[in-house]
Amino acid sequence: MRTEAIDPPGITWLRVSPKYVTVRVVGWAVATVLVVALLCLPLILVLGGWWKSYPLWLAVALPAAMLVLSLWRLVLIPRQVRAIGYAEREDDLLIRRGIFFQRTLVVPYGRMQYVDIGAGPVERGLGLCTLKLHTASAGTNAEIPGLPAAEGARLREQLSARGEARLAGL
Amino acid sequence: MSPDAVPEAAPGPVPGAPDAAWLRVHPASPFVRGWVALAAIAFFFFRDTFERVLAGGPLVDEQLAGRAPWLVLGGGAVLLLTVLGYVLSWYFTRYQVADGYVRLNTGFLFRQQRQARLDRVQAIDIVQPLLARIFGLAELKFEVADAGESAVRLSYLRMEEARRLRAAILASAAGLVPDPERAGEAPPEAPEHAVLTVPPRRLIGSLVLSEQSLVLVLGGAVSVALSALTENRSFYLFLIPAVLGIAAGYWNSINRGYNFTAAISPDGIRLRYGLLDTQAQTLPPGRIQALRISQPPLWRAFGWYRIQVNVAGYGAAGSDGEGSSRTTLLPVGTFPDVLTMLSLVLPDPGTPDPVATFRAGISGLAGPAAAPGLRAARIPEADDGGFVTTPRRARLLAPLGWRRNGFTATGTALLIRSGRWWRHLVVVPHQRTQSMALEQGPLARRFRVADLVLHTTAGPVTPRLVQAGLDEGRALLDAQAARARAARKRQTSEHWLAQVRTLAADPGSPAFPAPPAEPARPEAPVHPEAPIHPEAMARPETPVHPETPDRQENRPHG
Repeated sequence: MRTEAIDPPGITWLRVSPKYVTVRVVGWAVATVLVVALLCLPLILVLGGWWKSYPLWLAVALPAAMLVLSLWRLVLIPRQVRAIGYAEREDDLLIRRGIFFQRTLVVPYGRMQYVDIGAGPVERGLGLCTLKLHTASAGTNAEIPGLPAAEGARLREQLSARGEARLAGL
Repeated sequence: MSPDAVPEAAPGPVPGAPDAAWLRVHPASPFVRGWVALAAIAFFFFRDTFERVLAGGPLVDEQLAGRAPWLVLGGGAVLLLTVLGYVLSWYFTRYQVADGYVRLNTGFLFRQQRQARLDRVQAIDIVQPLLARIFGLAELKFEVADAGESAVRLSYLRMEEARRLRAAILASAAGLVPDPERAGEAPPEAPEHAVLTVPPRRLIGSLVLSEQSLVLVLGGAVSVALSALTENRSFYLFLIPAVLGIAAGYWNSINRGYNFTAAISPDGIRLRYGLLDTQAQTLPPGRIQALRISQPPLWRAFGWYRIQVNVAGYGAAGSDGEGSSRTTLLPVGTFPDVLTMLSLVLPDPGTPDPVATFRAGISGLAGPAAAPGLRAARIPEADDGGFVTTPRRARLLAPLGWRRNGFTATGTALLIRSGRWWRHLVVVPHQRTQSMALEQGPLARRFRVADLVLHTTAGPVTPRLVQAGLDEGRALLDAQAARARAARKRQTSEHWLAQVRTLAADPGSPAFPAPPAEPARPEAPVHPEAPIHPEAMARPETPVHPETPDRQENRPHG
């Protein structure tokens, strides 16, 4: 995986499962259908002749623009998933994400309060899970989505063991 | 909810708890707490009579005479039920401080048992609302790190009882071993050493020159202008609720900031304040997660600053006055005051010249010498305290702030400064860093800069280093992770006296007094024997406190 400018040097990133693209695409499809259907409502009203004052071009342009935007986001999804990476270092866990708005997060093992593993219906169907780390700060927001279930369980045990060894107070 | 404050459903005594006395709060407390309800009932029943008497009518209406028994009966029943509820709630509220835990049982139908470990205390407050103050009662709030409601609130206790309990909790949390010969006797309260007060004149001055005054003046000007332009008087009407709200805000600030006094004791920093409702906060050593010194533009003429802190137990300061006043370490103070408070929070600043470093952090500006070529030879006007600022190539992103936005790391804390007009300096002790992130948007990538965010517990301070150079930011991320790791290793115990003992064992550190609770000296009051931060006690007089030139420089009015 490509290392971006803000990543610390010399890190070999572990990637999340490529199957996670499917999860994101399903979520994208549901959201897109809902939003576009909602935006098509004026178009139906105008075409049916119930809403005369509303300009037709706006009724067409609004859902069309939304559709284009959504399609662009669809194109980005595989790259976004490829951009998610994590790396276990000696004393901390690194998590990176993002293409345009990048973020590289460092969570010391001793700072972890608890570890969550969750899986939505689509993720469960594909045998994936989402791992979430919590520290005393709400701002941490450390999430690794799209992990294979076995890797998620391994990582959780690993993190718990390392957190135990390096436990610190607040 | 933190794991240290687990409410349990099971009633009955806690298994394994020692026979320490279970105590009840003061019997008057439900009435003090529920006086609004009682007042409402009284108002409901006596309003008619009052109105009649005011109108010149007889005290008892003839028509009423027939219904009077029912009314009295109904009113009596409501009153009786309310009082019964109060008595029951009082009877079933019991607390115990023993065995390293504070336990609180509440509830009559739905019982709740809660226990919190004493050594996990993040802060302990004694609050006296006006009515409680009249009766000599006080509320004790015990905070653990769960960023929400207080873990244990004991309302109300007699004032001396609350203070005794606070001393006992803090002594136990500090790791003080009770003396067997003086068993059953409460540990004496740790002595205080007052360090600063905020005079009322300065408080009022700071409010007049605060941001809300600016908003008020601007809003008033806009409304008047709009009214004059549109010849529509209704704009004045919009002003009324705004003025009422802002007046309430001013009153809140005065009520809570009045008579602000900070003191240091071995148990930590003590803050007292309040005009009608008084509050006494105790922040044990090392409980402050992050700190921000800020200066609105209008305060600059007087050299005033404000300090806000993140404390795990206080949670996010909401818009309510209580939260914001609890997270205020100094409502308004001069530069020497700021240094005094900093010396309490950060007894070891980790830099040889803390005054210069903090001055650079608060008001420093990097010289324009970073320019390549022509002006490269120009030396910065003053040493910038080691602050690394936004590189010149990114000055378009922050045309005003690029020489301000910067960071420096001392041996014990990371300092992040920002803002040319609204000056801010954020101080995060290394061992308090939770996690960190580097963030970069497309525009920042174009200029090869990145933001570094430090995550701390909820509160008013959100440490964020904006537009640091890419290489500097990356180096800082690595270095900061290492520094935080090293600092955490040094800090091993939640008992702050234990930390002093390890320090005392260290041959390199100055000689500390013998550990407290030594059986050989039973007659000596144990607590005062253990100054936690001898440096902090000494510092206000010695190095951090600036000499007179500094005072003159920073207090043009004084």
